[in-house]
Amino acid sequence: MPASRRTFLAAGLALPVAASVDQTPPPQPPKLSARPPSFSYRTLGKTGLKVTTLGFGCMITSDGSVVERAADLGITYFDTARGYQGGNNERMVGAALKKRRKDLVLSTKTEANDKPGAIGQLDTSLKELGTDYVDIWYLHGKTAPAAVTDDLMEALAVAKKSGKARFVGVSTHGGQQELLPWLAKNPNIDVILTSYNFTMQPFMNSVIEDAASAGKGIVAMKVMAGGVRRAGGANRERLSRDGALVAALKWVLRNSNVHTTIPSMTDMDQLDANLRGMSQPFGESDEKLLAMHLEHIAPEYCRMCGQCDGDCRQGLPVADVLRFLTYADGYGQFALGRERYLGLHPSHASARCGDCPGCTIQCPYGVRVAERMARAQEMFA
Amino acid sequence: MKWLLALLAAGAALAAPPSCDLVSGWTQHGAARSYAADNLFEYMDGNAEGYLLYGFVNMHGVSCDKSGVTVLIDLSEFADAESAFGMYSANRDLRQPETRLGMGGQIVPRRAIFAKGKYYVEIAVNQEGDHTAALTAWSKALEARTEGTSDPPAALEWFPREGRESLRLVPESVLGIRAIPRGYVGEYAAGKAFVAAQDSPAAAQAVMQKLRARFPNSTPAKVADDAFTATDDYLGRLCIFRKGRVIGGYAKAADSQDPAALAAAVAARLP
Repeated sequence: MPASRRTFLAAGLALPVAASVDQTPPPQPPKLSARPPSFSYRTLGKTGLKVTTLGFGCMITSDGSVVERAADLGITYFDTARGYQGGNNERMVGAALKKRRKDLVLSTKTEANDKPGAIGQLDTSLKELGTDYVDIWYLHGKTAPAAVTDDLMEALAVAKKSGKARFVGVSTHGGQQELLPWLAKNPNIDVILTSYNFTMQPFMNSVIEDAASAGKGIVAMKVMAGGVRRAGGANRERLSRDGALVAALKWVLRNSNVHTTIPSMTDMDQLDANLRGMSQPFGESDEKLLAMHLEHIAPEYCRMCGQCDGDCRQGLPVADVLRFLTYADGYGQFALGRERYLGLHPSHASARCGDCPGCTIQCPYGVRVAERMARAQEMFA
Repeated sequence: MKWLLALLAAGAALAAPPSCDLVSGWTQHGAARSYAADNLFEYMDGNAEGYLLYGFVNMHGVSCDKSGVTVLIDLSEFADAESAFGMYSANRDLRQPETRLGMGGQIVPRRAIFAKGKYYVEIAVNQEGDHTAALTAWSKALEARTEGTSDPPAALEWFPREGRESLRLVPESVLGIRAIPRGYVGEYAAGKAFVAAQDSPAAAQAVMQKLRARFPNSTPAKVADDAFTATDDYLGRLCIFRKGRVIGGYAKAADSQDPAALAAAVAARLP
């Protein structure tokens, strides 16, 4: 029986807390007057870089004033990428951090698929960021070891040797079960940037722990599980209002194998809320908030984990059908949902769950599969 | 009957997927692709968040080959024309000139983008080199088959042209202030102008109240219906005004400039 999201959430409470949390400021602390009371710092694996556990994902930030204030307040890790906002993001970040560049850890990424392309992008990044070097340079969005080619590894080595990147790494949004152990064993990778949040599967804890034990710096992104932007309508308002997003951040920070996090922030209020989150422990009320959030999304939200593959008596591609239903129910895209549904094999598109005596699928995350499948058939078939 | 009407309405709103035969000599490479808001992450990872910010609805894409060159064409539908323009405005290369395409467009050696109606179109070439000719042909063909207005949002005319370096729609927290949830920002050598239309004058008054609380050192100013000036560590010398249901202003005013005068110039252009 696979562990459920709820089990994972509960397991999070048992994570080794504060074992490697160092409350001592780094050697060159920013000079501030309005620093939050308890900034926490961790060391980014064998890089030795000391970073605040709350970093700043600059990807969707529009106004440099938020980035600049974050640096003034004492956040030390800032992340961008060549491709963000059509290349405009790096320019904004570079300008905002100009005054404090030497005190900060700055990372960017390349989505190029070959060495010349990657090196070319790094040169452009340095120009746009207005700096001679980045502290960490990532290969962007890899989901399997095969995507981290020898050619790209050579690009990372060249960047390090030239001093244009102090450390190098790989970012990943998927495939972590295979990719993280592979990266952990790779001596030429210094840092791993991975999605990590309370909705993910339990194996994430162990692959992150193994990678951290191997000396890799671990940076977590998507810590708010897609945040308010992925949630629709009333759910979006509720998430922002009740503090679930900060609770999600605190949940990630409990894991001492995660050295820093890079939530997206677009305004001063988000920045202040996250700073408070960094300085507060994950408590019972946070656990309740996240559990409520899981409860709220569980009956309808298919996480595409694949655990029901092959379980349907009629051979239906359950996860696909549930996704098509989400197009209609979740996003108001009835036509798209129906189009995809009718693209199924005719025997699947015409199947009826009512023909079975009972459903064989028990979703480990609590999705009411039979009910949702029947709704899809009623709407689309 | 209701069901049928819903189907027809939704069908009418769905963009026709791009096709490789729109430009002669190109053939389809691989399967066509479609994404909605819940699975756009599968296609572009974290970059998807930038689309969701602007009210992304769905995307249809296809890749086409010709003589060893592959173009990736993606047509994204947004909630409305303003949002599609916003997506374009945030992603155009500010250092490069614009091209006359739809509401706004740009063609650079390996990439073309434009917005027309509620659609945002991206065309990218995989291979190195200057592919301007192919991108121009594709842009023209796609512009012709994309429905919707080619008139830029009226708000663009509210910003003085002189000295303007960029103008974009910010979908969330204008100037990094949550009280101003969405609006246009123009960057100038002398600072930043912004305009954010609210639902009603009463809603705009409520925003002004929040902004006064955000800048406790403010001083009343004589611009439009209501205004104040203030100084902020990160937004510099600024002036914010309300004119009817619109909040506008000027921030980071250069030392030699009067933020109230700069804001008044913006207010004067508002209807």
